[in-house]
Amino acid sequence: MANTETLNRRAPASPLKQFAQRLEVRMLLLALLIAVCLSFLSPFFLTKSNIFNLLDQSVVIGIVAVGMTFVILTGGIDLSVGSVAGLTGIILGLSLQHVPIVPAIGIAVVAGGFIGLISGTLITVFGLAPFVVTLGVMAIGRSLAYIFSGQTAISNIPEAMQNIVYTDVLGIPSNVLFLIALYAAAWGYLTYTKGGRTIYAVGSNKEAARAAGLNTTFYSILPYVLSGAFAAVAITFSISQLLSADPLMGNQMELDAIAAVVIGGASLYGGRGSMIGTLIGVFIMVMIRNGLNLMGVSPFWQGTAIGTIIILALLVERLVSSRISR
Amino acid sequence: MQPNTAPLAETGHTTLLTARDITKTFDRTRALQGANFELREGEVHGLLGANGAGKSTLSKVISGHYTLDSGELTYRGHEIRLRSTRDALRIGIAIVMQETSLVPDLTVLENIFLPELGRPGRLDYSELRRRGQEILNDLGQGDSLPFDWEVRRLSSAQKQLVEIAKALGVRAKLLIFDEPTASLSPGEAERLFDIMARLRSSGHGLVFVSHRLEEVFAITDRVTVMREGRTVMNAHPTATLSQAELIRAMVGAELGAIYERGESHHVAETDAPVALEVRNLASAPAVRDVSFSVRKGEILGIGGLVGAGRSETVEAIFGLRPRTGGEVTLGGKKLRADSPQTAIRAGLGFVAEDRRTQNIVPDLSVKENLLLAHLGAHRGFFCSYASREKKVKELLAKLGMPEDRVADASMLNFSGGMQQKIIIARWLLLEPDVLILDEPTKGVDIGTRASIYAMLRDIAAEGVALVVVSSDFEELLGLSDRVVVISDGRTIADLPSAMLDEESLTLLAAPRTSMVRNTEMLNGLAREHGGSGFWALIEGERLICLNAVVSNPALDPGFRAGQARELGATQIPEALRRREPIFVPEADRSRTTLVVPMTSPRGHDLGWVGLSLPADRPLPAPDTIKSRIDTMAATL
Repeated sequence: MANTETLNRRAPASPLKQFAQRLEVRMLLLALLIAVCLSFLSPFFLTKSNIFNLLDQSVVIGIVAVGMTFVILTGGIDLSVGSVAGLTGIILGLSLQHVPIVPAIGIAVVAGGFIGLISGTLITVFGLAPFVVTLGVMAIGRSLAYIFSGQTAISNIPEAMQNIVYTDVLGIPSNVLFLIALYAAAWGYLTYTKGGRTIYAVGSNKEAARAAGLNTTFYSILPYVLSGAFAAVAITFSISQLLSADPLMGNQMELDAIAAVVIGGASLYGGRGSMIGTLIGVFIMVMIRNGLNLMGVSPFWQGTAIGTIIILALLVERLVSSRISR
Repeated sequence: MQPNTAPLAETGHTTLLTARDITKTFDRTRALQGANFELREGEVHGLLGANGAGKSTLSKVISGHYTLDSGELTYRGHEIRLRSTRDALRIGIAIVMQETSLVPDLTVLENIFLPELGRPGRLDYSELRRRGQEILNDLGQGDSLPFDWEVRRLSSAQKQLVEIAKALGVRAKLLIFDEPTASLSPGEAERLFDIMARLRSSGHGLVFVSHRLEEVFAITDRVTVMREGRTVMNAHPTATLSQAELIRAMVGAELGAIYERGESHHVAETDAPVALEVRNLASAPAVRDVSFSVRKGEILGIGGLVGAGRSETVEAIFGLRPRTGGEVTLGGKKLRADSPQTAIRAGLGFVAEDRRTQNIVPDLSVKENLLLAHLGAHRGFFCSYASREKKVKELLAKLGMPEDRVADASMLNFSGGMQQKIIIARWLLLEPDVLILDEPTKGVDIGTRASIYAMLRDIAAEGVALVVVSSDFEELLGLSDRVVVISDGRTIADLPSAMLDEESLTLLAAPRTSMVRNTEMLNGLAREHGGSGFWALIEGERLICLNAVVSNPALDPGFRAGQARELGATQIPEALRRREPIFVPEADRSRTTLVVPMTSPRGHDLGWVGLSLPADRPLPAPDTIKSRIDTMAATL
């Protein structure tokens, strides 16, 4: 019968091969390899304080990377997260002068989401290219951050903000706990809900998704809204640590976030990627930066080092994956 | 090497290109399996065939788009091996397609001489302009192209002219025109034929690929007909062919055995309730006026040629394409046209034409692809896949796919036929009232086809109304209870498939440039004389009506446009049988009818035009009617 014939054409791979075929698994191995290398290069790398330091540094970029993963899954890109973070940081700083902490954070997050709504609508409804729209929003956001702040940092932030970061729950800092909870929620959303599956379907084949009755317009806009809102959440953690809001905050944050998502195995064409992959990507980025600092590499050389490592990682991955899937 | 001894005077008969036993296979579909073709210098050669017969594939093999699998191409006496369109262009073979090879942002002049832009060295624009002007003058189109305009600003006829000029710019000797008149108005088509005639007289060899029989008769010298990838009529002089012969060659063999519908043929169920009704649907520009209805448990076929507006029609019904007029009723309720989601929730399912771009979501597993329409119809935050678990298992078992082995696999691991079954199952999961399938067996191998037909028949037997769009007339007739024919965006026939065969379907589907003028004439005749007029093809004892105008209900000839009838079953059997150049009264003396042959300017049979008048009034002279018909025919 024709059916059995088609089934036999491709024998199922062995469990080990199937495991190795998962990109996240290979990237996890890469992360461990980097960790081992760095622990040889610097005796401080594997100390308890440095590990907490690593986790702490992962929080801000990690939160931004969640929104970025959603956007990239639909086949889009959001270049504006860095400047939206800067702008919403200033909005938060200004709001704190007038209202209590919780509503102030609320205002900043809603503002971030609103900016995302504008980008998402321009991209989805008017068919503009995501790259161009978010590039424009990036310029506008940074400019407004300077104007609203009067070109100086806002430093009279209430000290109670620090509780957001420095409250320990069961020995784990609250910001790290928030990051873990956020990734768990995002993973659950993408895996088990109609919206999450629609986001994958939109990125993989938008026309087919629409023909199957999925609301492709709504779920193409939503990721940009989340991306803007998460940029505001991320900068809230930064400001809580520094007790200062600077218009320059979040500068080039989009590059780190996109790099983390791509290292985590997402396809820039959409439809492929996962929260676990992104989390590993975030750790790889943070570890490399941290390791370079520990080794005393000049900040001017760090960009060269990070860029080289990202490109090498993806190149090796491409060569390995074509070998494995054969 | 043999010296070329052919005298110059005979260039008109020098063979330019021969193709022998060409085969070409895509994936597992054999597009060409032994195609032969021969083109001379100074001729226009028609290349014909039904949808999917392989005429486009052969054109693309000759023009270097595809490399052939086996066979032999000889060009000007030498065997050639083409690896790309560049190879073909270099030796003088060019294909004129619709707009595809032009760069919209460059100027007309730059497009004409695009190959020159790739050469090193400076471009001499004034020299190019001079050469461009020369080419256009030779075509008799000296001032119809603004050289400095960007190509995107041109009309499609002008773009086509740029394509032709571009081919001549590299001194092409052989030009292939692939459906060149598809997007042209009658006037523009006329101008194109004038250009083609000039190219012919200057010794070029032209291949004319077309569905439009009238144009084939108007412009070609010889005709080659293809069917199922083979040449079935090789280089036959057009002058000695009739329309009927040509159509018979295109349609060919008897209906295959794979359509055994046995006793399940449920024509009897004509009292079942109407599931879907479409009235005067329009969706600019492709759909102009489409009406039909389907009953529960019925399989309705929608036929027509590629580009007739069939896919656009069903997409407009389903909400994938904005409607500009008409209405759609589903189960007695009006169906709004805003989105597929509305249609799905109302009980409509749709398997779109292009599997890869419109149906499959490659990054989701087979199981999720199966559940995709469920997800689209579902209201709620979570996926609720579990609610369909049982039905998914059932469907996968029916498809012969063990759930544990395929559920997580990628769709792309399966054959086209299997993918198609999964996509159909996607809709069955929702238990729709009406399921529309656009080309359900496109790119599916013959074995799987039979099982898809069986699957569709089972679905219909369960009371689902099916609408099947297909370019394969054999499939359409074998599968459906009734066939609606769409041509140029309008429904032109709605007939039980038992009354049709591939020949009549091909005739009905062919877009007719003469239809407008013919209708005008029939209207004029019928109104002036107070009778009824018709245009029909008559073969032996059978008549196929192409057009009918009835101004006096008492004189209804007993058939309407798009219908096929035995002569005896009409109201005017006597006149139709005798077909004499006088008014022939019927046995009951109620009416009298003149039936006149219509002939194209080149002497081809275009069927018969008839005028029925009441017998009790003075009759006009048959000759005046006949000369009026001849005058009209002469302008075709």
